[in-house]
Amino acid sequence: MSNIAGKAYAMNLFTPINTRRLWINKLIFRLAGTKIFQKITFKGLLTLSLIHYARWVIIKDKQFPRLSEDQPQEKLKYAYMFFFSNFNGSWTQYVDSFSMSIPGGLNILWYKNIGWLYPVPETPFNNYVLSNQIWTEHYYNAYPLASSNDIKSAQKVKKAIISLSENLDNISAQDFHKKYLQTILSVQGDINLMEPTPVVSLAHEAIARRTRIERNIH
Amino acid sequence: MPNTSGNAYALTTLCPLKHKGENQESPILYTRKVLQELPNCTDLQDSPMSKVPNTYLARFFILDDTVFRGYPFHLDHLQSKYLVFSVEFHGDLETYLKEMYRAVSKEIHTIWKYGFGFEEVKHEHSFVSYIKKCQVETTFFFNGSTDESLEEQLKSLYVKQEFSKFVFEHQGASPEDLLAAYKEFDQRVQPHILAFPTWKPGVDKLEEIVKTSN
Repeated sequence: MSNIAGKAYAMNLFTPINTRRLWINKLIFRLAGTKIFQKITFKGLLTLSLIHYARWVIIKDKQFPRLSEDQPQEKLKYAYMFFFSNFNGSWTQYVDSFSMSIPGGLNILWYKNIGWLYPVPETPFNNYVLSNQIWTEHYYNAYPLASSNDIKSAQKVKKAIISLSENLDNISAQDFHKKYLQTILSVQGDINLMEPTPVVSLAHEAIARRTRIERNIH
Repeated sequence: MPNTSGNAYALTTLCPLKHKGENQESPILYTRKVLQELPNCTDLQDSPMSKVPNTYLARFFILDDTVFRGYPFHLDHLQSKYLVFSVEFHGDLETYLKEMYRAVSKEIHTIWKYGFGFEEVKHEHSFVSYIKKCQVETTFFFNGSTDESLEEQLKSLYVKQEFSKFVFEHQGASPEDLLAAYKEFDQRVQPHILAFPTWKPGVDKLEEIVKTSN
């Protein structure tokens, strides 16, 4: 069981919603794709830029997949919302970041969810998240050493390098030097050495400790 | 399409599990054990998902029941337990699922052994059909990363890492030395070629991460 895969953490939240107001929740998410809504709701989160991908899925009992006559039909009073997020950092950093940067946005996205607590103060909100969270059994990440920002930066760096590599056989050393410095200037915020720190090494350490305990090696 | 954001696809599936297993085996315990024994966290390069082309991130968990928020709220119960398989990938759903079945069919049959209706899965087409029956529509998909192919993302990360090293190592070099060193860098890193050298998917150790050939 692991919610951690390299620098990514998998959060699964499962929250009930009153079906009478479900149309409002669906309308909110329909609007969530618009730029104005994102500016109002996600602004703080976009600045933090710690999410690879996240999604919300709302379903009612009749929408739970039924693949056989032997499988009983679900009968639920509430609709349910899944929230899946892949983010960089620890659980505490993530939940606190949400709570601090977009408390109003959270209230909109989890509008009238059953038992929803406002993100401030943080302690009861953290308890709410914990009691609605489901632990991941297997979590895979294709780039454990990279954060979401690394992936975005890498696209810019590669584009700049391809341009820098043009005409290498014919360019003078002086001209190349100028072009090289211009390139560095344009990507100076995007170049850095990726290392297995801090989250990967902490996870490794925890697993090594657990393995030692399981094998009775002290 | 709420399932997509550009070329990135968010697949959410709830796969109902049978209530009884073979020889008194519990389908829930069996499925949980299989998933927990997959290479995890420190050995992600050995996860079956690392063999599935264009997988950015993937997760499996078991949905046992609903959550109860306490009085005065109603207590709901699910009639079945569900294997939740959720993945973010590049490309279209059918191509992805067919490639997944071609890459890891043995692991798929082990993981989904107790899925209702999974007994009909015999080949890639029936796997696509099964997963589509288990799929639930994403309500809202937020892409905070990019929607490039995984091959492109991994090559870009490799180029970024190597170029960062190059910049640190060549501070203050003369124009002549810099051009000569950069030509060697360009030959070694091959920024235009995606296949290799590049980063291997799922590897979290710097000393093992570079793939130099097929």
